[in-house]
Amino acid sequence: MITIWLTLFGLLPFVLITVASFLSHDSRHLITLPFTFNNYLEILNPIYFKIFEKSFYLAGACTLLCLLLGYPFAYILARTREPYKSLLMLLTIVPFWTSSLIRSYAIMALIKAKGILNGILMALGIIDHPLQLLFSNTAVLLALVYNLLPFMILPLFSSIERLDNRLIEAARDLGANKTTTFLKVIIPLSLPGILAGSILVFLPAMTLFYIPDLLGGSKSMLLGNLIQNQFLLTVNWPLGSATSILLTVMMLILLGIYWHFSKAKDRQSLL
Amino acid sequence: MKRLLAPTYVTFIYCFFYLPILILVFYSFNDAHYSLIWRGFTTAWYQLLITDQDLWLSAIHSVFLGFCAATFATSIGAVTASSLFRYRFYGRKILHTSIFVLLLSPDIVLGTALLIMYTLANLPLGFFALLLSHIAFCLPFVVLTLFSRMKSLDKNIFEAARDLGATDTTIFFKIIIPLLWPAILSSWLLSFTLSLDDVVISYFVSGPEFEILPLKIYSLAKLGVKPEINALCSVMFVVTLIIVMTSQFILRKKN
Amino acid sequence: MKKFLYSVGLLYSVILSAAKDLVITLRSFAALRMTRTEKFVATLRSSALRMTTSTFLLCLPLWAFASSDKIVNVYLFSGEVPDSVVREFEAKTGIKVNYTAYDSNETMYAKLKAKKNPGYDVIQPSSYFIDKMRQEDMLQKIDKSKLKHFGELDPRLLDKAYDPKNDYSIPYLWGITGIFANSAYYPKGSITSWAQFWDKRFTNQLLLANDPREFFSITLLTLGYSINDTNPKHIKEAYEKMQQLLPNIKIFNSAAATSIIIDEDAYVGMAWNGDVYKANKENPNVQFIFPEDGFIIWVDNLAIPKNAPHLENAYAFLNFVMQAKNTAQATINYGYASANLKAKEFLPKSIKNNPIIYPSEKVLAQGEFQKDIGQDALKLYEKYWELLKISA
Repeated sequence: MITIWLTLFGLLPFVLITVASFLSHDSRHLITLPFTFNNYLEILNPIYFKIFEKSFYLAGACTLLCLLLGYPFAYILARTREPYKSLLMLLTIVPFWTSSLIRSYAIMALIKAKGILNGILMALGIIDHPLQLLFSNTAVLLALVYNLLPFMILPLFSSIERLDNRLIEAARDLGANKTTTFLKVIIPLSLPGILAGSILVFLPAMTLFYIPDLLGGSKSMLLGNLIQNQFLLTVNWPLGSATSILLTVMMLILLGIYWHFSKAKDRQSLL
Repeated sequence: MKRLLAPTYVTFIYCFFYLPILILVFYSFNDAHYSLIWRGFTTAWYQLLITDQDLWLSAIHSVFLGFCAATFATSIGAVTASSLFRYRFYGRKILHTSIFVLLLSPDIVLGTALLIMYTLANLPLGFFALLLSHIAFCLPFVVLTLFSRMKSLDKNIFEAARDLGATDTTIFFKIIIPLLWPAILSSWLLSFTLSLDDVVISYFVSGPEFEILPLKIYSLAKLGVKPEINALCSVMFVVTLIIVMTSQFILRKKN
Repeated sequence: MKKFLYSVGLLYSVILSAAKDLVITLRSFAALRMTRTEKFVATLRSSALRMTTSTFLLCLPLWAFASSDKIVNVYLFSGEVPDSVVREFEAKTGIKVNYTAYDSNETMYAKLKAKKNPGYDVIQPSSYFIDKMRQEDMLQKIDKSKLKHFGELDPRLLDKAYDPKNDYSIPYLWGITGIFANSAYYPKGSITSWAQFWDKRFTNQLLLANDPREFFSITLLTLGYSINDTNPKHIKEAYEKMQQLLPNIKIFNSAAATSIIIDEDAYVGMAWNGDVYKANKENPNVQFIFPEDGFIIWVDNLAIPKNAPHLENAYAFLNFVMQAKNTAQATINYGYASANLKAKEFLPKSIKNNPIIYPSEKVLAQGEFQKDIGQDALKLYEKYWELLKISA
């Protein structure tokens, strides 16, 4: 039963999209013969390559920011004593479950030219003209970090929480100072958490098409928007499928790296 | 000074999490049509929200869809997880891995792939297309949540039950479900919220006769800031807050 | 265990069969005949009557909603038929209107193209899309004897090349695409033509239309060509000139332009006269400019797509919104001129004499009607536009 289900809704769509990526299209048919490699050749066109590059750059910046913001936070949280720990965790989970659309919309209201951020900055006399933040890559980056930060914090938290305290004490006893302990013991031990969090942030950052759509400008087209465009605007399904396949391949590579560096019990934290 | 650093940092992050939403709630009481400058307190947007039939209809659609998707995903997921846990069969590893990959595959890929499939199968985009897609993306979450909970169960219970003559069905209904019900309930709630919040997959597989709330909010948001959406988002925030709190409460109580 | 598996499988197949039933009853698919699988599903169903009933009970609200005849699915440009008119229509005829809005012709076209039976009854393509969709057999021929107000329409807007004799489309509103500028940042008179858009001072500031034809019009007019130019050489020249404009473009957006202009998230760019009219009421700094090098006059049309499921209701809807009083309401709400000549009788003086909504004949003479350019040229525009958007 479950195998049928998975074949029908897991495997079959992926097979279809792979097949579709090798076909062509015309004005009367969405997908049609003959078989061709043209779609993949077209993606290698410098214009599309630029979008890949931009997506990588923005998603990478987003992942790095999330890591920098999230690591100390997860560390502090993991070291807090119970009852407070559960309460703080709950407070972190709540935004995780609110609709990301609503959260993006909130960011939009925050950074508008006549929004509250500009209002505060102008009242404080830091700027005299409103900052034109909305409809730029900065806005997209801010919204992405805001939306995806919890995805970084949760795996980090669970991997730091599982750290064996005795190892840290042993390092201390052997004469390591705080910085060395952190760099040589804590960071390597929480590496699975870092990797898991990075995957959970990096991939959605490239594909959440509604965030660049709402907050980005003309120069904020990411991979997700490209796929959305190819499917729903230019109606070039084969090309869109090929882009999707490339994205999936990228995911599998990242997953492979993660698999290599983690143990089975760590993988739980991806949940 | 050093002792204050950690609490300050934590507070800063929480502010980052909650301030934008609070600002949104604040603006939902603002008496201005387009701009975001404060022009006095009003509940007019909430009144408008109550009388907006289209929004209510799409909200009902979303809840109905979420209810169906969560119920089916949880029941199918419970069976899958228990058979993954109890039987060693050919392809078990592959199944486990593929669920994992499905869980991590980008929503947009799943959405476009399902769109292609429905088009080829001639299934009209609408309620059933949405329902099947939502079950498809909720299922991996349910299976993995339940599976990891089952690992903490004592395998001897099943042996004992079988020795006492229980059938597979009896074991499922009398042992697995009672032992796992908090996990089942929380994965139902998880699926429900996932379904309620999904934009990316629904965007590709929805049709004209069955509009759902997230897509309605998306199209409204694309048309620019409207105070009515602020009110709607505030209401939705409070609803999600209640659901999350409830599910956490249930889980914690049982632990 | 096996029993349970079986029952879950059953439940699932019941849903699938219900889905198929729905497909058959709703769309009356001639092609879908009883196959072996369906027979199998049917046997399964009879053996699990209770299961079926419960599933159907679950789907009952949907059924009641979907099988009703008293609905019309309209799919229109955002903000062109006022809510009040839709409500009145519903109250008078008892027909429920499912109103969905789109933000560009391309979105609408793609949604309709994706399925043989998309389920929409009334759509609103721009003139050049009428031609494209007409040729691709996507539009239903309109029976004009069923339209009560056809005779009241502005003859200037009828019988155009994109749809001779208006067999497939009915003009509804018309408007102008020109320049908007915020006088707090760019004083009156400092911007007078499209050609100035290439100035360095506009770096990363322009708000431009999310539409290939309108977008290219800027460059074509600057280069001294017609906005309906079909010469591939000229189009390529325009494309190359457009590439130089990319650094100045802040955002492509048509749907949310009003609130962007009011909230000053963009100070300058191209805009429709109606949007500027609405914005000016909230933010008096916003000005509309008729560019010296020419501007675009466009017509929005209502049409019925092929295989519309509720044809009679579609005609009822068309008749209602075309009434002079109701189009006047649209003009008052949105600031676009009505295609119905009698609508002026229902308009207040402030709108009838507004130079932005109803410009004088002398001003209008500088503008150019957006016309059909044929599929080959349109494809070229679209191809270049896509390239520009991606490489921005």
